[in-house]
Amino acid sequence: MKRKTFYQFTSPSIILMIALMIFPLLMAIWLGFNYVTYRNINAPVFTGLDNYADVLGDPKFWEAFRFTLLVIALVVPTQMILGFVMALLLDQIAMQLRGIYLAAMLLPFIVVPVVGTMMFKQLWEPSGLMAWIFQTTTGESFFYSELSVKTLIILQTIWSSTPFSLVVFFAGLQTLPAELLDAAAIDGASRWQQIRHIALAHLRPLIVFVGLISIMDVYRLFDNAFVFTQLNPIYHANTLMLYTYQVAMRVQRLDKASAMAILTVIGIMIALIPFLINTYRSQVEER
Amino acid sequence: MQPIKNPLARVIIYIVLTLFVVWSLLPLAWTFLQSFKTVLDAHSIPPVLFFTPTWFNYTHLWLEKIPDTFPPQLLILSAILVVAILIAIFVRRLPFSRAWLYWVCAGLVALTLWTIPQVMTTAEFYDYFLNTLVITAGTVLISISIGCLAGYGLARFAGLDGVIVLVTALAFRALPRMAFVLPYYWLGTLTGLRDTYVLVIICLVAVNQPFTIWMLRSFFMEIPREIEEAAMIDGAGRLQSFLRVIIPITWPGIISTALFTVLLAYNEFLLVLVLTQSKWTLPVAMAQFTGGEDPGYITMASAAAVSATIPIVILIIFFQKQLVKGLAAGAVKG
Repeated sequence: MKRKTFYQFTSPSIILMIALMIFPLLMAIWLGFNYVTYRNINAPVFTGLDNYADVLGDPKFWEAFRFTLLVIALVVPTQMILGFVMALLLDQIAMQLRGIYLAAMLLPFIVVPVVGTMMFKQLWEPSGLMAWIFQTTTGESFFYSELSVKTLIILQTIWSSTPFSLVVFFAGLQTLPAELLDAAAIDGASRWQQIRHIALAHLRPLIVFVGLISIMDVYRLFDNAFVFTQLNPIYHANTLMLYTYQVAMRVQRLDKASAMAILTVIGIMIALIPFLINTYRSQVEER
Repeated sequence: MQPIKNPLARVIIYIVLTLFVVWSLLPLAWTFLQSFKTVLDAHSIPPVLFFTPTWFNYTHLWLEKIPDTFPPQLLILSAILVVAILIAIFVRRLPFSRAWLYWVCAGLVALTLWTIPQVMTTAEFYDYFLNTLVITAGTVLISISIGCLAGYGLARFAGLDGVIVLVTALAFRALPRMAFVLPYYWLGTLTGLRDTYVLVIICLVAVNQPFTIWMLRSFFMEIPREIEEAAMIDGAGRLQSFLRVIIPITWPGIISTALFTVLLAYNEFLLVLVLTQSKWTLPVAMAQFTGGEDPGYITMASAAAVSATIPIVILIIFFQKQLVKGLAAGAVKG
C-alpha cells in the first residue's frame, strides 16, 4: 500500500485521536499550570507549578495513592493466581461442561462494573445474605467501616477481574505443545514439574501481558470505589481516580485535578514504557 | 495437559470449580432474588430464600403510572418489536437477504421504542435506557466505520509511520481516562456541548479508537493480500475492493470487535458521569440509586441492576464464541 492510500484510509481515525486524545492531554498539562475553577472557567490565570506543589503537599492525595498501591499489590497477584489455577482445573474437565462453567465464570467480567458492584454490595447490606452469614458465624454484626469498605472494594475487584486472566490463560493452555507434554510425562516428570517447566514457561508472554493489563486496570479503579464509598470521606477509601474526580467535580478545582491526572499519567508511564518499546520493536520486525 | 485419572482428584476438581462458580454468581443470584421481593421481605433478617415473587419492583421501575387496562396499542407495538428483531436475526436465512433489511429493522425497533412513552407513562428509568441505546449505537457505528478503514490501512501499510500510529494508540489506551475527561469537561462547558449525545458519543469513539483499530487490524492481517490484489487486477479500486471483498470476509471479526465496543460503551461510567447532567446512561443513573435512605431502594436497585444486565446477557448468549475468541485473540497477539 502506498503512503498516500494509507493516510486516506487512516485519516479519520488519526484526526479523531489527535483532536480528542493528544490535544486534550496537552490541554490537561496546560490546565495544570493555571488557576481554573468553575467560576473563572473562561479566563484561566497562569500560576506555574503551584498546582503541582498543592497536589504533592496534599495528604489526601498520598492517602489515595497508598490505597491504590495497596489494591494493586493485593488484587493483581491474587487474581492472576486464582485465574491460572482455575484455568488449569477447567482444562481438566469434560469438553461439554467447559462451555457452561466458562460462561458462568465470565459473568462478573461482563456485567456493567457499576451494576456488578451494586450486586456485590447487596450481599453486605444489613439484610443481605453475606452480612447475615457473617453475623451468624462471627457473632458480630457487619457494618460499613473503613476496614470493611476497603476489604469489599478489594474483594469486588478480584471478583470482577479474575475472569479475564482465566480466559486468557485457558486459551493459552490450549496452545501448549502436546508432544512436549507427552515427552515430559514419559520421562517421568511430575504434574507439578510439567506445570512449572512447560506450562508456565510457555505462557510467560501471556502472564506478562495479563499482569500489565491488570496493573493498569486497577491503577485507574474508579467505578466500584465510587459505588462503595458514595464519595463519603469517612472510609478513607479513595483511589487516585476517585480523589481526582472529587477535586474536579465536587471541589471544582479543575486545575489541581488536571495536575493530579498528569501525575498519575507519569506514574503509569514508568510501568508502560518498557512494554511500549517492546511492542515497537516487535512491530518493526514484523512488518 | 493430560487429564488426571485419579477419580478422587477429579471429584475435588469439580467441587473447586463449582465453588468458584458460586463465588462468581452469588451476587447476581442474590440480586435477582431481591428484585422479586416485597420491601418487607427484602429487609427481613435472617434473609428469606422462599417468598411470593412480585413484579412490583419492575413495573415501578419502568412505569410512572400503572394503567388499569392493558392498552391495545402496546400489543401492536410489541408485536412490531418482536417481528423486527426476529427478521434481523434470521435475515441471512431469508431467500432475498439484503443488507438494507438490517437498517429497516433497526429503524423499526427505534421507532417502536420511541412510541412506547406515548402509549404508557414510562418512568425515568426508561429514558436512561433509551439514552444508553442511543449512545451505544452511535458509538459502535462511528467507531467501527472509521476503525475498519484505519485497521485495514494499518494492516496493509509497511511504513514506519504505521508502527508509530499503532504504538501511540497503545500508549493512549493504557492511560487513565481522567487525563482526557477533564479537558473534555472543560471544552464541553466552554462550547456548551456538555450534556449532548454528540459530545458523549464522539468522546467515547475517541477513547475506544485505540482498542478498535488494534483489534480490527489483527483481523485484517489474517486475510491474505492476494485476495484484494486479485480484485484490483479485475479493475476494482482499492476502496472498492476493500468494501466489496475484504469487509464481507472479515465480517465475523468485525462483529467480534463491535461486540466489545458495545460492552465498552454500555459500561462506561466516568466519562458519561462527567459529561452529562440529564442525559444519564444506565450505569450513571444506577450509581445514584445506591445511596438512598428510602427503604424501598434495595428492591428497586435490584430490579434496576437485573434490568440493566439482561440486554448484555442476551447479547452474550448470541455471541459467546466471538467474545471468548476476541478475548483470547487480543491477548495472544498482544
